[in-house]
Amino acid sequence: MKLGRVSQQGIVFAIFLAMFAGFAFFLHGFATTANMLALLQNVAVLGILGLGMAIVVIGRGVDLSLIATLAVPPGLVLQMVQDGSSLSLALTAALLLSIAFGLVNGWLIAYAEVPALFTTLATGLFLAGLGQALLFKLDVVQWSAGLAGFEKLGQGVVLGIPMPIIVFALACVVIGLLLTRTRVGAYIYAIGDNPFGARTTGIPVRPTIVLQYVLAALIGCLAGLVMAASVNSMPTRIYNSTWIYDVILVVVLGGIGLSGGRGGVLNVVIGTLLIGTLLNGMTIMDISYSAQNLIKGMVLLAAVIADSFLNPRNEETAQQGDI
Amino acid sequence: MTDNVLELRKATKLYAGVPAIEDVDFALRRGEIHAIVGENGAGKSTLTKVMAGVVNLTSGHMAVDGAEVAPRTPLESRHLGIAMVFQENSLVPTMTVAQNLFLGQEAFYNRLRGIYIAAQQFLQSLNFDVSPTMVVGQLGAAKKQMVEIARAVLHKAKVIIFDEPTATLTPEEKKYFFDLVRDLKARGVSIIFISHALEEALLLADRITVLRDGEHVVTDDTVNFDRARIVQAMVGRDLSNTLYGKRKTTMRPAGERVLTVQNLKMAPMVKNNSLSIFAGQVTGVFGLVGAGRTETFKIVAGVLKRDFFHGGEIVLRGQPVRYLVPAPAVKAGIAYITEDRKVEGFFETMSIARNIYLGLLAKFPGGRFLLSKREADHAGADWISKLNVKSIGGKAKVVELSGGNQQKVVIAKSLVQEPDIIIFDEPTRGVDVGAIVEIHELINRLADEGKAVVVISSYLPEIMALSDRVLVSRMGKVVEEYSAFEATEEKLMYAAIH
Repeated sequence: MKLGRVSQQGIVFAIFLAMFAGFAFFLHGFATTANMLALLQNVAVLGILGLGMAIVVIGRGVDLSLIATLAVPPGLVLQMVQDGSSLSLALTAALLLSIAFGLVNGWLIAYAEVPALFTTLATGLFLAGLGQALLFKLDVVQWSAGLAGFEKLGQGVVLGIPMPIIVFALACVVIGLLLTRTRVGAYIYAIGDNPFGARTTGIPVRPTIVLQYVLAALIGCLAGLVMAASVNSMPTRIYNSTWIYDVILVVVLGGIGLSGGRGGVLNVVIGTLLIGTLLNGMTIMDISYSAQNLIKGMVLLAAVIADSFLNPRNEETAQQGDI
Repeated sequence: MTDNVLELRKATKLYAGVPAIEDVDFALRRGEIHAIVGENGAGKSTLTKVMAGVVNLTSGHMAVDGAEVAPRTPLESRHLGIAMVFQENSLVPTMTVAQNLFLGQEAFYNRLRGIYIAAQQFLQSLNFDVSPTMVVGQLGAAKKQMVEIARAVLHKAKVIIFDEPTATLTPEEKKYFFDLVRDLKARGVSIIFISHALEEALLLADRITVLRDGEHVVTDDTVNFDRARIVQAMVGRDLSNTLYGKRKTTMRPAGERVLTVQNLKMAPMVKNNSLSIFAGQVTGVFGLVGAGRTETFKIVAGVLKRDFFHGGEIVLRGQPVRYLVPAPAVKAGIAYITEDRKVEGFFETMSIARNIYLGLLAKFPGGRFLLSKREADHAGADWISKLNVKSIGGKAKVVELSGGNQQKVVIAKSLVQEPDIIIFDEPTRGVDVGAIVEIHELINRLADEGKAVVVISSYLPEIMALSDRVLVSRMGKVVEEYSAFEATEEKLMYAAIH
């Protein structure tokens, strides 16, 4: 078991290094400081989302509604400011919306015992629909004058490092500390390892599950704010894209078993780096979008198959219907 | 051609080196009804599963109609003419009776009307009152059993094995079942049935085999048995048995009454159960599997979910309580140490110390937001030495430990919560001999310290060795109570079987 887990992480890291070295050697313009920063900047949002997904996956769940929380609460911020609200009021509203959404997800999964897969599929659809039908006037919510200064979250540079990378790094540190150093983190791992055991031990399983989904929603919102600030708008149609699969790709590829209780922030970082390198290399090589999807699909398939070999799921998980 | 349709010689099955059955000789005569009786863990199920091809022998021989065979799968056994009717139904609940009967034998073009007609004729020929178009899930236990039997007969079984066939039947259904079995016998089918109910064995069987601790004790014609002889054969183990040999010579007096359960109900396992638990002594709860012991105490500890309205009263130190989840029960000082440590015991990917620390965190979250490595290491090292958990350091993952050491970790995880009421459910199941002694010493020590200790066990010697007071459970409630001095293995066994 131990060997298998280490080797998956190791394999992914080795693939990353090999790919990186290969690109650096063969691809002109890959191994430059500018390209490295661009690479990281491009995957920073994905990495932040990966952290949110990691929290729920470690707790033996899954959150397919992350892209909805990425699109809708930040979209609300842009829309409210456009309509004349102050930035702080808009941010508060987005925060409350994210928390409320996380609470609904968590309640449905922990207390109503609806499998996470179906819950988040449905609630994500609901939130995206809510945004498109009621909150936003256009599919792409535009930047407005009231947001002046806020774009630094996406476009600012500190000590030569783009802001999204810094936000990703900070988020990694915060989530890493939460998972490894706090009581809540210990509970999340315990629930992912053995939910029945955690319950019998007296761990507050259901509140902890709710907290996981609230955290995931907040992280999704943060990622959305960074994204909106980077591109000066919020294209809410992103919900219809296949991005959620990229997020799962990052988490699974990094070696966080879908059976729960395993992995950590380091795995998200490794997964993000690998995907970032892959995408960046493919872009430099000018591979078409559809061919990129084909390659990503194959990589995800390989990762999921490797996951089920190295972290075999047990009977209970299969019966629970969690992913 | 011998007159034995089925024969086992020197049959041995080892599970991880531990024998479930050892050198068992067994012969089934053509057209007889043969009952197998014994305590839980005596090897009855293993023996019959060997015949049914569910379990493969480690060593020994099996013969059908005198010819040596070694069925490796249930299908191979079925081709040999051996069918087993399991305790848990093996029917597909969403299919009709006829579909179930012909499951796996469908023609390529499976005409429903055709199989309904065939099933109807077949069921009528057996005189079974079951409609072939009924969906199996809607049938009662007795009718499901009829379908199972019909399927066995349809497969031209010459040997049918029943595992606890009457456990889920009402008295009238039982009577009807007996007639069915006799009818099958008249058709030349040989019957094996496992039963806890000795009366049934005496009433129905031609011959009875008694197993004990995986070994064959006696096989004889039913006329030569009476209830007393069977019970004696079932429990009459060597009392000089080193592990459990010491009879209790002292008895701890009952302390404060800490827990009272009144009229506890939870269908179908717990029926109007009432009992009391006292501090400072070990209360043994004996009963056979399915007697509702585990369920009763899981309700007390909040582990079993149940609805808000039904169910009787649980009084903890004078306060009525009703726990919907285990967390408040843990806070109130109740520890339930599970019988199934893999499913609801330890955290397998974590270290021993982390497992124990999680127990501590769950009971005493206090103001802790951050984890303390020092505290975790301290709690881990403390309990590893207290319970003598053997491993390659506290970093070893629990899944890599032996059964006995895993059990110790699960116990430590609960004891670190400083409980006053400690419920051990089958504390030594799957545990090696050395660890059994240590766990028993620990249980005695806890009672000496004034804790209220409950030991649920199906193993009589364990109950006898540990208990100051024995409650015997049967059919969902406590039916008898003995003090350590009154209790004998025969009395307990007699009370536990109806």
